[in-house]
Amino acid sequence: MPDNDVIAAAKERLEQSGLPSTWLDIPVHWGVKAKEQATPENGGLRFQMLNVDVYGEVPEYWDNNTEIPRGAVPDTRTEQMGYSIFNKAEVWSDLCADLYEDAIADRWNSSADIPWDSLEPIGADLERAVCQIATLMSEYGWTKAQTTGRWLQEISYGYIEVKLFLGTVVFDAARMFEVWRKRALANGGGMGRGGRNWKFLPLTQSYTFSEFVVASIMHDSMLLTLLRRGEQLARTDAERRIYQLCEQDLERHLAYFVDHMRYLMLKEPVRREEIHRYMNKAEWYLAKDGDDTLYSALAVIMGDGREGAEEAMADVAELRREQIETYLGYLRQCHLADRQDRLNEELRKWAGMVELEEEEKIPV
Amino acid sequence: MVTADKLNELQLEPEAPELDLSWLNLDTVWGVSAEPGRKGLTLQQINKTIYGEIPTTSEDSSARPRGAAPPEGATPRMTPWVLGDATETFSDSAALLYDEAVSRQWSSATDIPWDTLDELPEDIERAMVQLCTSLTEVEFIAGDVPGKWLPRIAADHFESGLFLMSQVMDEARHTDVFRKRALANGGGLLLQGGGGGLRQILEAEDFTQMSSMLHILGEGFVQSLFRLGELIAHNEAEKRIFRLAAQDESRHVAYGVTHLKYTLEHEPEKAEEVHWTLDMFEDTLVDPDQANPGLAGALVYLLGDGDVDEGWRLFWHVRRKQVLEYLHRLDVAGLGGRLETGRLHPSLAGALDEN
Repeated sequence: MPDNDVIAAAKERLEQSGLPSTWLDIPVHWGVKAKEQATPENGGLRFQMLNVDVYGEVPEYWDNNTEIPRGAVPDTRTEQMGYSIFNKAEVWSDLCADLYEDAIADRWNSSADIPWDSLEPIGADLERAVCQIATLMSEYGWTKAQTTGRWLQEISYGYIEVKLFLGTVVFDAARMFEVWRKRALANGGGMGRGGRNWKFLPLTQSYTFSEFVVASIMHDSMLLTLLRRGEQLARTDAERRIYQLCEQDLERHLAYFVDHMRYLMLKEPVRREEIHRYMNKAEWYLAKDGDDTLYSALAVIMGDGREGAEEAMADVAELRREQIETYLGYLRQCHLADRQDRLNEELRKWAGMVELEEEEKIPV
Repeated sequence: MVTADKLNELQLEPEAPELDLSWLNLDTVWGVSAEPGRKGLTLQQINKTIYGEIPTTSEDSSARPRGAAPPEGATPRMTPWVLGDATETFSDSAALLYDEAVSRQWSSATDIPWDTLDELPEDIERAMVQLCTSLTEVEFIAGDVPGKWLPRIAADHFESGLFLMSQVMDEARHTDVFRKRALANGGGLLLQGGGGGLRQILEAEDFTQMSSMLHILGEGFVQSLFRLGELIAHNEAEKRIFRLAAQDESRHVAYGVTHLKYTLEHEPEKAEEVHWTLDMFEDTLVDPDQANPGLAGALVYLLGDGDVDEGWRLFWHVRRKQVLEYLHRLDVAGLGGRLETGRLHPSLAGALDEN
């Protein structure tokens, strides 16, 4: 309970000195002691532990356009800060606070945590192929950081957990950019060819956060499938570790994107068709990008050189089929199982799926 | 009824991508290697040959990494416009500062000894949570700003981009750690601040102007305060928060100073523009109408441990240090003379007279 005498004396001292004392009059939600839950066994003082009392009430609509912390008392003189997202369904996932802390707990350093001394000469074709893949990975890291970062200024403090987590996504993507650049420039190679990257336009052009999220689910799930093949693709322990660490980061990102989209579909099912349109666009750009450099480089690695690349294309095709399967699998988790029947025609071919007309004849 | 087996039978062979090996014969610089050093394989160590040459201008609005060959065929513009001139965003220290940021990441959950937070007298706890309310607010905006600028950084100048990405992470942690402190020890969040110039940083449409406000003046003042955190803290947890946050802020300030230095060395005519920005921002910082009614009171109260007269004395000690360090940073950046020419805001210049 507040000690009124202590506060009254404090107010008097401040006022005598010409300092404002109104902050001492604020009715505090006193007695929140998050520290009591923090133990080494449960990961220390995690953000989720703060979400008690009024501070844990995440509103469906946040009506303040300033940087006011959730649970603080507003100062009505404060200018509006230009946020545009005030709707919980637009960004929320219950996983955010934990994913944020997990990202920090999983932090790694590309300078020191990769066994760079395990790199050894792997032959000219393979080095070219690894460097080509590294160049494209690096590009995606850059794009991911830029496109995620730009949403920060749109999201209000009401959904602070989301912003904290997106901060970790930006940082993870930075590391993805530089760890692959390091790989390209560490072992006697150099940078490869940049991607054509029409496929990334749905990320850069997105007008709504939901549009950004579905494009991210598509790109991240396809990349995750590739990273999971790291054991097969890596030629050294350094590369193996890069694949593992990037995979670990990307799994967190997808956990958020998927859980958020599931939340949106439950809260605002009326937006289903709109979301399908964003997927139509993302898939169309991916299908029409027409740049097979990544898959060709993978074929050289899987074929152990350019001579074996042609034969390895069957394995590469299987990998690409798995990528589409993974993408559709994540969409099923978002209550978007119907995407399977609406998948872009070109991507259906990549996945070896029966053509739509033929499939529609099958009574399931 | 169709069974899973039947559907499997209907599965077609996946279409294979087209094999294109033209990238095996690129005309990029080849034969580059790097050995890890004492701190591992840092960005500095891979900045060799053409890959380490920073173009003074870049017209590439794609995500193509520096030194990579351009793709074949038509390519899209990835961002409406990029700051292609190195003087707009570059800093010679950005790579080093990014490497340092990555190696010095810390966790507010596990690296703060939260168990050292003992129950404080109510007036002191209130003052501390008021300070933390203001700080979580300030750090929130400090994370929005680099996020806004990221899409405008040219991939050719990626070092600055990486630095800003690390800043986004640092500010998230600061927003988080001050909120944690406010809610960890029986207090709560108190009064929001009145703006205090945050809006000016966010709305700036010139990177160097933004950086002068955010990195040099704003974060510079915050860093000077955090470095005196021993005067404010009442336990090991708070001392550690201020120490770790000050370490992060030092990098941000260093980026701002080295960026401004680079810009003024290459475009000395920009000095007046930056002076003008600082005139405006200093004015906002000391404007009583913009002041956070809680921040100054809580800070004075904490500095004096409840003794307001002693708190004022220490407040002016802090302010004097903030102004001296601010002027020194401007000197290093090549923008000296604000005090001597009478351009420094009188309220800040007055702080130098205090004992």
